[in-house]
Amino acid sequence: MTSEPQQRFYIDAFRWMLLARTVDERIASLYRAGKIQGGVFLGKGQEALSAATGISLRKGDVFAPLIRDQAGRLAFGESLLDCTRTYLGSRLGPMRGRDGNVHRGRPREGLFAMISHLGAMIPVVAGALMARKFRGLTGTVGAASIGEGGTSTGAFHEALNLAAVEKLPLVLVVANNQYAYSTPNSRQFACADLIDKAIGYGVDGHSVDGTDLVACLAVLGEAVARARAGHGPQLVVASLLRLAGHGEHDDAGYVDPALRETAVGRDCLRVAEQHLLTERWADAATLTRWREEAAEQVEEAIAATVREPLPDPNQEDWCALASPHLRDGYTE
Amino acid sequence: MFPGFTRVPIVMPQLGESIAEATVVRIPYEVGAEIEGEADVIEVETNKATMGVAAPCRGRIAEWLVELQQSYPVGATLGWLEVSEEEAARLGIDVATPAPAADNPSGEPQKVAPRATVQPTVRGLPVPAHAAGASYLSPRLKARMNELGLHAADLAGVAGSGAAGRVTVEDFEKFITKLEENKLSPASSMRVAVADAMRRSWSRPLATVGMPVVIDTLLAHRKASEPKPGPALYALRALAIALGENSAPAGRLVGDKIVHPRAIDVGFAVEAEDGVLVPVLRDADKTPLREMVVRYNELVELARQRRLPPAAQGGSIATVTNFGTFGLQWATPIPLPEQTLVLGLGAGRVVPSWDKTKSAFIPATEAGLTLSFDHRVLDGGGAGRLLQRISALLQEPATL
Amino acid sequence: MITYLEAIREAQARALADDPRVYIYGQDVGNFGGAFKATKGLAKEFPGRVIDSPLSEDAIVGSAIGAAIEGMRPIVEMQFADFSTVAFNQIVNQAATLNWRTNVPCPITVRLPSGGTSGAGPFHSQSMEALYAHYPGLIVMTPATVEDAYSMLLEAVAIDDPVIFCEHKYLYYHLKAEALPTEAVPTGKARLARAGRDATIVTYSAMVHESLACAEELATEGWEIEVIDLRSIKPLDTDTVLASVARTGRLLAVGEAWPWGGVTAEVIARVATEGFSLLDAPPMRLNAKDTPVPYHPNLWGTHRPTAKTIATALRRLLAA
Repeated sequence: MTSEPQQRFYIDAFRWMLLARTVDERIASLYRAGKIQGGVFLGKGQEALSAATGISLRKGDVFAPLIRDQAGRLAFGESLLDCTRTYLGSRLGPMRGRDGNVHRGRPREGLFAMISHLGAMIPVVAGALMARKFRGLTGTVGAASIGEGGTSTGAFHEALNLAAVEKLPLVLVVANNQYAYSTPNSRQFACADLIDKAIGYGVDGHSVDGTDLVACLAVLGEAVARARAGHGPQLVVASLLRLAGHGEHDDAGYVDPALRETAVGRDCLRVAEQHLLTERWADAATLTRWREEAAEQVEEAIAATVREPLPDPNQEDWCALASPHLRDGYTE
Repeated sequence: MFPGFTRVPIVMPQLGESIAEATVVRIPYEVGAEIEGEADVIEVETNKATMGVAAPCRGRIAEWLVELQQSYPVGATLGWLEVSEEEAARLGIDVATPAPAADNPSGEPQKVAPRATVQPTVRGLPVPAHAAGASYLSPRLKARMNELGLHAADLAGVAGSGAAGRVTVEDFEKFITKLEENKLSPASSMRVAVADAMRRSWSRPLATVGMPVVIDTLLAHRKASEPKPGPALYALRALAIALGENSAPAGRLVGDKIVHPRAIDVGFAVEAEDGVLVPVLRDADKTPLREMVVRYNELVELARQRRLPPAAQGGSIATVTNFGTFGLQWATPIPLPEQTLVLGLGAGRVVPSWDKTKSAFIPATEAGLTLSFDHRVLDGGGAGRLLQRISALLQEPATL
Repeated sequence: MITYLEAIREAQARALADDPRVYIYGQDVGNFGGAFKATKGLAKEFPGRVIDSPLSEDAIVGSAIGAAIEGMRPIVEMQFADFSTVAFNQIVNQAATLNWRTNVPCPITVRLPSGGTSGAGPFHSQSMEALYAHYPGLIVMTPATVEDAYSMLLEAVAIDDPVIFCEHKYLYYHLKAEALPTEAVPTGKARLARAGRDATIVTYSAMVHESLACAEELATEGWEIEVIDLRSIKPLDTDTVLASVARTGRLLAVGEAWPWGGVTAEVIARVATEGFSLLDAPPMRLNAKDTPVPYHPNLWGTHRPTAKTIATALRRLLAA
């Protein structure tokens, strides 16, 4: 029997998933209408895993989301406006036009802004946790998202190894969505199961069905708790299918259609809706109402954002340093 | 030393990257000890570790040069090993050479030698090929000359010491300093203006042609006139009429276009103090000689007194100069930079002239008539034809 | 007497003592004291703050960035500058961009044992300052003296931006000074190492000493050569360089690194654009030969500029 708080927790997570899917689809349609500068990367199919990660973290933890973590970002506390402003290029966004789309964050608030090189954010999270150790801060956790493709990088290896040696409270969430751009898993790694790497690094490993929000909430909850309790890094490997192209510029024609018919190909949002209905935690009318509310929130955010000023090159100081007195003198 | 033996140095080896020296901490073998193979013969300590230094080969310790707890640099000779020559040869070890005598043991400061003269070369220089040579002015030199208002022409007297004989900034500063040893007086602004005009004009290819012209008729006409026109005025009027008939010789070449004169305004040179002024008679082809005399004399007077109004200068398409007033028979004046032609009139003199009809030499007064011109616009033929026309006109002074 | 290396050690000790946010991270820096003993004794003196890392340059620098976001001031030691290429991504794409992208400064100091020593070979000899200077967002220091090794490292830790600290391995034990400095010239100002009249050498790090030796030799021939020690190559003190060329009219830029796009190219570009009319002769540069750094001393001896080759170049410049 699920308790009230667990039910509330599930509903909250579901609503973050719903909001993420809504804003993702809205941004995708704006992209197709030519209104977005640069690329668009959707989290379709990954919402359960991502929301579970974000919602399991606490204020004061650090989180390095990657490109398909709209749900996790929202669950962790990022505002919808940060998303719309960064995609639509508003000067008021957190990156102020200097970086765009999913390369956004607020590091001082524990939300790290990714760089494009996959794996590179994991050591940064590890270092943040080392700093907390230095300062005697206990009970915080750092989470980082990565895809199965990213596990092939040297940065992933070095960072997980270092975190294990230092016994840091790192929760490393691997979304195994079967394809890294067009590269299937058979070309990505040779081990039988990515979770076997946990043994190799000397860390705890957790496998989870990424399409099932119930399972994701349980596993992420446990992994975060274990990390927080001082058991060292926790490697979580979730199986799911990427339900969109690598980016919105990609039609994913290379995805094996047979995968879509298997369990791993289920849409986690539909699975969660079904669960709500089955458990009678919501009825069809409630779901409709939630969908409408999500759509309204997104419309409001977009409407506000499109009225905002764009970056102005003449107002930029064009200085990359925090110490302006050390600026190199170029005359132009 | 025994025959058949030689001395081999025991040298401080490179003990690790960036190690510069090491301290001797133990000398296990005394002088006279026999060393087998490559045993460690001395122990040294660096920042990182204590290490042994091996003997280069089998031999007998002949001498130690070091003390305990002293530091010695990498490469220093720590001691000598007496080694049989066969052993040394077997291992290809260099035989010891005596240490060179210490340099400059008295510690006196070196005397400064006189500055070595540098042989300039042309090949392989950092001076760019197209700019090499005596005419190359470096950016710094140009900037300095600009400051002082100088031009390349002013450097003609400077022998350059730089590559390929170019004038360096040092040469230049020496030149300027040396100049100041002479008496210096300011050049008048007139002088500077003339210098600039002549320098600019000279940048074109200029040529001169000349012919003698008989001026007896002209002189008679002048004698009978009142007021008397200056000889230069006759030449001016003749030039004006000739140009009025065909103005092409006075055109200017700009790129691939000939710029034709709009009016036959002709100037004439007047010496004024430190230079030359050129008043202008406008539409000289349309004005008869007798009507120009008064104006001409006025302008001469104004010019001499440097009171020539701006409206009376400039805009002429050719100039006349009467260098005959100085007794000169011929000259090659330089046209004004904006003009193609300058007509020159030399001094008249009585010469014997062959008269065919009388079959005898008769006295005639001849004067040299020269045309100096920009050879880009005009060739010798055109110049010659122009002079002939002028000469013919000067034989009929009443028609001028 | 204190060596260049001891000065670096002293600066780190002082930084650790003065600021609890400072820690040192790198391979073998703990009890072993570092491959060059730059942290000798510090692990004992400051327990828990001088930490041995795994052999993972990317994670070493990446974790330092994360710690910096959280308010620490890490000093990371790369065992050799040459190995920092494994951390290149973190340095140039993460550390150098963090402040510009997110408005959060990244106060890390990356110590690079740089430059050639006899027998070190291609992967223990590189001078990488130009690579890092190319990226906006980094400060690059190249101290040439014992005093600068000390005071500039202290300043590096205090600066809020990522600092690449290129310490020269040859100078570690070969260069000594009477005592540590009590005052310092701030980073961004070059130093007039030797006043002169006939030509200017602009250089940095170990080449400063080769240039000074060369200037001594040319002094016996009657030439007075001015030597400018850049101290930091980013920011590069263009004003001091121009003032010197204004005095002498002739410029030779000398660097131990390779020619293409090196510090010498940058110096000459600046003088050519901003001080063209100060030059009485075309500017010259002298760099290492355009090959990897050779191992054998016979080859290494001629691979990079030395006092002799600098003198040869200068004589050509003076004759031009």
